[in-house]
Amino acid sequence: MNSQLLASPGQRAGTPPSPHRGDTRHNPTKGKFAAQHRRRMFRADLLTVALWASLAAALALWLADGGVSSVGNATQAVTAVGILAGLAGMDLVILMLLLAARLPFVDGAVGHDRALEFHRKLGKPALYLLLAHGLLLATGYGMAEGLNPVSEAVALWVLVPDMWLAFVSMALFIAVVVTSLVAVRRRFPYEFWYFVHLLTYLAVATALPHQFSVGGLFAEGTWQRWYWLLLCIGTGSALAWYRIAKPVIATYRHQLTVRRVVRVSPDVVSIEMTGLRLNELSGNGGRFFVWRFLAPGMWWQAHPFSLSAEPQVGPTSNRSSRQPSLRITVRNLGAGSARLASLKPGTKVAIEGPYGVFSTAARSRDRVVMIGAGIGITPLRALLESTPFAPGQATVLLRGSSPEELFLGQEILELCRKRGATLFHLTGPRAAHGRNTWLPASADSSRLRDFVPDIADADVYVCGPTAWAGQVLAEAKSSGVREEQLHYERFDW
Amino acid sequence: MRFRAGISAAFASAAILLAGWQAGAHVATSNASAVTTSSTGTTGGTGSTAATGSTAAGTTGSSAPGSSSGNGTSSSLGASAKASGTYAGEAVQTRFGIVQVQVTVKAGAITDITALHLTDQEQRSVQISARAAPLLRSEVLSAQSANVQTIGGATITSDAYLTSLQAALDAAHF
Ligand SMILES: Cc1cc2nc3c(=O)[nH]c(=O)nc-3n(C[C@H](O)[C@H](O)[C@H](O)COP(=O)(O)OP(=O)(O)OC[C@H]3O[C@@H](n4cnc5c(N)ncnc54)[C@H](O)[C@@H]3O)c2cc1C
Repeated sequence: MNSQLLASPGQRAGTPPSPHRGDTRHNPTKGKFAAQHRRRMFRADLLTVALWASLAAALALWLADGGVSSVGNATQAVTAVGILAGLAGMDLVILMLLLAARLPFVDGAVGHDRALEFHRKLGKPALYLLLAHGLLLATGYGMAEGLNPVSEAVALWVLVPDMWLAFVSMALFIAVVVTSLVAVRRRFPYEFWYFVHLLTYLAVATALPHQFSVGGLFAEGTWQRWYWLLLCIGTGSALAWYRIAKPVIATYRHQLTVRRVVRVSPDVVSIEMTGLRLNELSGNGGRFFVWRFLAPGMWWQAHPFSLSAEPQVGPTSNRSSRQPSLRITVRNLGAGSARLASLKPGTKVAIEGPYGVFSTAARSRDRVVMIGAGIGITPLRALLESTPFAPGQATVLLRGSSPEELFLGQEILELCRKRGATLFHLTGPRAAHGRNTWLPASADSSRLRDFVPDIADADVYVCGPTAWAGQVLAEAKSSGVREEQLHYERFDW
Repeated sequence: MRFRAGISAAFASAAILLAGWQAGAHVATSNASAVTTSSTGTTGGTGSTAATGSTAAGTTGSSAPGSSSGNGTSSSLGASAKASGTYAGEAVQTRFGIVQVQVTVKAGAITDITALHLTDQEQRSVQISARAAPLLRSEVLSAQSANVQTIGGATITSDAYLTSLQAALDAAHF
């Protein structure tokens, strides 16, 4: 047994965990990753500002057009609020599209998953604003003409060009948001949700004509029209480039091909791929790709998987047998991932990515802690291989119900030995009850700080099942780890 | 960090809204003049050459829709059988107010269009029609018919404008 591999800190001299808050915490403005961290935080702040500013700008379009002075009575007030709701709603829709556009700037600042999380949060407000837009304008115009909102809506639909498209758009938006509600989404396969979600593009496309033809704010010859046009064209181009062109280019550029499939455990396989220019895929950047294996019955499904090893960039020395290769490790969790075990060598692979910041790009401190469970261990294996740390500055905690479930455990042990990282294996069933359910029953009374006394001054990478990861993150926070030091890769979206 | 972002976002948003509001106040004051210019610049279009048709005066008073009150007299120019003169189109009621135009036809050609009345029910629609009317006028003058594109952002005004114009052209047997 390796001396770094300790069963559990409970066996150690019985020293009670010492309070560690704020005493030895070194200055985060120093150290190797300080500048990188400051840059990333600055970018994240910039995004926050840009987000709010765009919303303010949407409302300012109306204000700058003399909006306030146009409100004289109740009818005009209803109409005005309706217009503002439409502007804000459409701005949120554009922000949602940009958040889902895989913009490198966004991905590098907050990570793909946080961007999508925020995208999801905007869904309902956007829909409510668009609904309010429709209802208020039907009411406001109706009041001006002495019609009830329903007859006004019918009149708008029938008489005003492009308005019927706007009604279609509204129906599509409702369908997209409703199928994305967690409760509804669970009832359907991922693919069903995905295809309904694609209707978003149709919803936006049908919403646009009436904004430019009926919406007086964007009348020809106004600067407002230009602003809105540029916003829409910019968003459309970003989507076309980053979601369509870039993946196609990456797929052709790297020519990934399955070399072999290695069984790691009864329900886990590693898939090794060869390809071109893999050196471009190594390094600090994103660590997961969305993979599409171009084999019969599989090509139409795309799945996100993390690299489980740093890409090998090929014959650096005379050992020309070492072909450039890329590896992912996949657990059979559903219909699609089960089929991957039977992948044939030679299968071509299409990729989107790399995405995410579960990598050195997120480091802020010199110390690093990696905590993984189950299949979540595998991305840590890649991180452990490449992320810089001095011997003694890294701690790895692996959790599984049995030693066999510590996937790639042997490789990780060797890497820890080589690089001087401390490794803990936390195996065994969890306690029937109790707070620390992230630990096995045998270590139930231990705390995170017993394993890593200086955790408050470390980057903490967590990957594993959602509920388990939640426990780990909560305890890390209560041990003095700040939000910006926590890096969590979630496998379920 | 989050605090810094929050404060900056609040300041940036407030500044943008304030700038928009200021610009809007400016637009509102300069607006009234925009409307008058759009309906007064019409006399420049009437040519000084021969065969000026009799001008239809007092047509603005006719508010009843459908009553086209063109009273042009046939010109003595033999080249065209078409009437010359000034004709007012029907007053079209829209959700934003009445739209009525007057067309001047000379020697079988549309030489001028005057807006007698444009949508005026809200500040916004005044601005919209002030913007749309000159554009429509020049489109119609170059197309020599009411068959022209509506102006983006001014669909309702455009439709009413062209409807009224068509009525005027019908009255002129154009
Ligand atoms: C960033 C990231 C990295 C991941 N890395 C790994 C890894 O290294 N190893 C590993 O074994 N697993 C990884 N996963 C999980 C893996 O993607 C899913 O287990 C897999 O997609 C399930 O597909 P399925 O067809 O087998 O299951 P299904 O029965 O289709 O679905 C099972 C679950 O996966 C979700 N899912 C299916 N397809 C997608 C998709 N394209 N995008 C998002 N969610 C989807 C479904 O919503 C459902 O909750 C990762 C997930 C993410 C988000």
